Amino acid sequence: MKPIHIFIALIALSVFLFAADSGNKETEKIPNVDEIVNKANLVAYYQANDGKAKVSMTITDKKGQTREREFIILRKDLADGGDQHYYVYFLKPADVRKMVYLVHKHTAQDKDDDRWLYLPALDLVKRIAAGDKRTSFVGSDFLYEDVSGRSLEEDSHELIETTENFFIVKNVPKDPDNVEFTYYNVFIDRNNFIPMKMQYYDNQGSLYRTIEAQGVELIQKFPTVVKALVTDLKTGSKTEMQFSDVKYDIGLDDEIFTERYLRRPPREAIR
Amino acid sequence: MGLKQKITDFSLIHYKLITLLMLVFTLALAAFIPLIKVDTDPENMLAESEPVRVFHNQTKQKFALSDIVVVGIVNDKDPHGVFNTSSLAKIYELTEFAKNLRWTDEKNPDKQIGVVEVDLLTPSTVDHIGQGGPGEIKFEWLMQKPPADQDAALQIRDKALSNPLLKGTVVSEDGKAICLYLPLTSKDLSHRVYKELQKKIATFTGDEKYHITGLPVAEDTFGYEMFIQMAVSAPLAMLTIFVLMLIFFRKLILVISPMLVALVSVISTMGLLIGLGYHVHIMSSMIPIFLMPIAVVDSIHILSEFFDLYTKEKGRKKTITQVMDSLFIPMLYTSLTSAAGFASLALTPIPPVQLFGVFVAIGIMLAWLCTVTFIPAYTMFLKESSLANFGLAAVHEEKQTWLTKLLHTGGLFTFNQAKPILTVLLIVLAIAVYGISRVEINDNPVKWFAKNHPIRRADIELNKHFGGTYMVYLVLDDAQEKTISYKYINELRNRLLNKTIELKEQFPLPSDSILELENKIPELSESAKTKEELLTALAAFAEEKITTAEDRDIDAWYELVDFCELEKEGLKIFKHPDVLRYISRLQNHLQKSGLVGKSSSVADVVKKVHQELIDGKPRSYIIPDSSAAVAQCLLQFQSSHNPDDLWHLVTVDYNSANIWLQLTSGDNKDMEKVVNAVEVFVKTNPPPVPIKYNWAGLTFINTVWQDKMVAGMLQAFLGSFLIVFIMMAVLFRSPLWGIVCMIPLTITIVVIYGIIGLIGKDYDMPVAVLSALTLGMAVDFAIHFLQRAKTAYPQTASWKSAAADMFGEPARAISRNVLVIAIGFLPLLAAPLVPYKTVGIFLCAIMALSGVVTLLALPSILKLAEKRLFKPALQPQTPACNCGFCLIISIAAVLLIAINIHQYAVVGWSKLALFSIIAIPVMALICGIMSRRQKCKMLETQVKEP
Repeated sequence: MKPIHIFIALIALSVFLFAADSGNKETEKIPNVDEIVNKANLVAYYQANDGKAKVSMTITDKKGQTREREFIILRKDLADGGDQHYYVYFLKPADVRKMVYLVHKHTAQDKDDDRWLYLPALDLVKRIAAGDKRTSFVGSDFLYEDVSGRSLEEDSHELIETTENFFIVKNVPKDPDNVEFTYYNVFIDRNNFIPMKMQYYDNQGSLYRTIEAQGVELIQKFPTVVKALVTDLKTGSKTEMQFSDVKYDIGLDDEIFTERYLRRPPREAIR
Repeated sequence: MGLKQKITDFSLIHYKLITLLMLVFTLALAAFIPLIKVDTDPENMLAESEPVRVFHNQTKQKFALSDIVVVGIVNDKDPHGVFNTSSLAKIYELTEFAKNLRWTDEKNPDKQIGVVEVDLLTPSTVDHIGQGGPGEIKFEWLMQKPPADQDAALQIRDKALSNPLLKGTVVSEDGKAICLYLPLTSKDLSHRVYKELQKKIATFTGDEKYHITGLPVAEDTFGYEMFIQMAVSAPLAMLTIFVLMLIFFRKLILVISPMLVALVSVISTMGLLIGLGYHVHIMSSMIPIFLMPIAVVDSIHILSEFFDLYTKEKGRKKTITQVMDSLFIPMLYTSLTSAAGFASLALTPIPPVQLFGVFVAIGIMLAWLCTVTFIPAYTMFLKESSLANFGLAAVHEEKQTWLTKLLHTGGLFTFNQAKPILTVLLIVLAIAVYGISRVEINDNPVKWFAKNHPIRRADIELNKHFGGTYMVYLVLDDAQEKTISYKYINELRNRLLNKTIELKEQFPLPSDSILELENKIPELSESAKTKEELLTALAAFAEEKITTAEDRDIDAWYELVDFCELEKEGLKIFKHPDVLRYISRLQNHLQKSGLVGKSSSVADVVKKVHQELIDGKPRSYIIPDSSAAVAQCLLQFQSSHNPDDLWHLVTVDYNSANIWLQLTSGDNKDMEKVVNAVEVFVKTNPPPVPIKYNWAGLTFINTVWQDKMVAGMLQAFLGSFLIVFIMMAVLFRSPLWGIVCMIPLTITIVVIYGIIGLIGKDYDMPVAVLSALTLGMAVDFAIHFLQRAKTAYPQTASWKSAAADMFGEPARAISRNVLVIAIGFLPLLAAPLVPYKTVGIFLCAIMALSGVVTLLALPSILKLAEKRLFKPALQPQTPACNCGFCLIISIAAVLLIAINIHQYAVVGWSKLALFSIIAIPVMALICGIMSRRQKCKMLETQVKEP
């Protein structure tokens, strides 16, 4: 699951995608796997220096009942491929409006992310303990790790196939005890390095979870995933994320990503 | 020549044809048996359309609930119970094994069936929500991997105990044992999963004990073992009967014939049942065991009489003709009454019981037909020489049998001590009636297993440690008015006004802009059908304003959209703090009453998350004060590994909630107490908003079909009692004789159920069904006895000499029957299933009691009422001419109809009583007119003249 997280994060946050170099496929030399995953990681999570998007999430359970979530997500990178900050401000459902998640993502091996939570109805700021990031993101089929990204260091990567359109990379967790998957495959677009599809396999070797990028648009020259779908084959549940109002390089202030701003959301987060 | 003579003669002449016909008939029906379709689900005791089942299935759908197999692991040797590295490692391994107990559905190859992995409730598949560092909340797997050392093992225990959702459920209250809850895609996989788990457990070594139980396992396994029993017990009983008959009649070749009758009737009945496309349900699997004793009874009468009358000189043909002549009528009537007893079950509102009753009745009549045709035919196959040394006459010469001696003495005793005998019987009857008043109606499918059965042991052991292995769901539904009232509009406007005032302090908003929304309320409420529609329309209006409003107003309009959306969320009552507190109070009330071992609800989830969000202290284990706070707590819960667990307790729209109750007892009486406790609580503590509640869960369903069964059985029983009485009155052409005939049966039944009450055995499903058998069989001996007495009396016109005859051959036939059936079914006591034991004991008791009562009470009554009963017979008179007779029969018939109508139509007893009061005089009038007909007068004069 871990490597996938990175990619999921890519998708979820791919709002911030970078512009891929589109070399000629015929003559293009196939890069080595580290290069591929690095590029994909950057495309998925580190487009531009900062970014913003409004996300509508629809969770559909196997009975066809739906639940909606809507939030605005702000991102600022400290270093490409390195630490970054996320600010997630909830708009819907109405009774969780103004709820905030703040994440300081640390990519250094031994440093856990810092996570905060603000609950307006209890007027409570709470830190979320480091540890397992493979828990559900607000009840959806996306996991926390899908949103903030999984460190490349946590998996070993292998390019198992190169098709006309994709590099297919198999990712095997280095510490299999902490994740629920045995491995996952990522289909990375050869043109722009956007991870277009991720497939997770369980310890029985069967596919149980997929994430797909269902729409990619060029926004401010950055190829950006504007629609992503997770399917949990075990529960029969699906979550669709739609990104709108995507903006890059808006010059977000560092201050925004601090505890002080949990109770007083910045203007950028509200609209 | 009467019909009986014709049948007997035909059978004797065309004995080969009769045998061939019977053989072909049986084989033809037997050919269907391989097509058997088995249905072991006790839920099918109720029709699929039964409201409680419909609701149960809706609830399962609505809250994604599955039937659950419960696996408990106990370690009595370790001071920390199972909380040591070795036990937890095995528990982990077992869980991993259980996770993968899935198979491809044979009916639908795309579908997987088995354990529902995502809903597993086990230490390694649930989350721990707790405190991380200071001011931190932490979500983690409770036991992601087996612990490496003892400290880690104890930590797992402490974490689990700190979570009210897990304590008493996954971890025992004493912190020593663990339970795994394995939900199944379908409960008919329980036995398969049970077997697989047992195989896996067999590979473990160590001090742990593993217990597997739960109603689905019990019910499915019961069905499975039931069919094994059908194949073991029935033949075993047959063998015993065979041996006993051999002892009595000494001729193997002759003793085979009743066995053949039993086989033919059992095989053809089952073949017919299966051939007609019915599933063989738990009930119908008992058909053979019920049919067998009834099928052999008549043949035993024949054999007994044949044995007693046979002499070499007379020869087999003449003897059998004589035997059939005296037994034909009693056999017809005993078969008819037995069949009526079972057929009356067709009137119960329980489909499998109806099927059972009808087919046993069919089987009985088949057995009768077979007895009256095949048994005479069979004797024709016997060579006279093979009957050498056969018969009482032959034996007699050697020595008087002990039975003959005993019966002779008994006959004298009843003649001399008639009054004391009846007095004693009356006293016994009185005690028995007291016993009946103490009968407790109760059932529990787990208790259908003998006490030493692993499932029963698991049930006892696990319910000692945990909140309970019996699941019930108390479903609460929003019962608020959905449509818009003036009151609601006023309240909404007031709230909006308050919001406006609040906003004015916050933003420089012109008040007329806000009034616009408020003024929209009456207008929009015209077109909106529900509150939700109104609020949606308002929100849309406000949303529209965001795009058109002046810049300085935009923030306020955002707030107003939010206001509307919040109002909409407010309609979802199971987010309301006061509703959740009400649920908590209800749970506490049930918990305190001691009736419920454990309960879980959305209120528990909110309290637990709130506690951990605030500080993890017990004082924070409360419901927060606003719906928004509740919603935010619940959203945090959904940030766990199993966010969907929430939807087992509340629906996505928060309009329904489910309180999951675990009971340590699956006894229906305990379930009923819980139902009553909730009813009383809700009455004395009205909920803060209108809520309606309803029950689901197998434990509850069982109480519903029990109620139907008990009431249905009772009415079916009363009905068949009346039918039997009418038949007896017709048979003996006298209501008085009919009443006398019902006496042994009545005493037998009253005493049997009195004993059940006195020894405290629950009146459960098997006992209820057996009442039909009791009725049918207990009357048999009385019919034989009285019929023979009636024919014997005129010969001497003195009961004294008639009684001596009666205690000869007829009494011997009765006694032989008693012994053969009573002892023949005792092997059932060795069965591991309680209903089989019950049947064994019942048959023994029915036969013994009705035999003894018949032989004691009837002769005593006949002696005391000799004059009244044996007055000059009015033989030629037809029943229709006897006014009193006609009237009594009419009353019985009216009652019979009333009982049956009551069962089907929605007519109360008072109305029925009214109808009956009208019907009876009408019938009396008709009776009077009929008995005054010319034809009757002629008959009367005929009687008087000679």
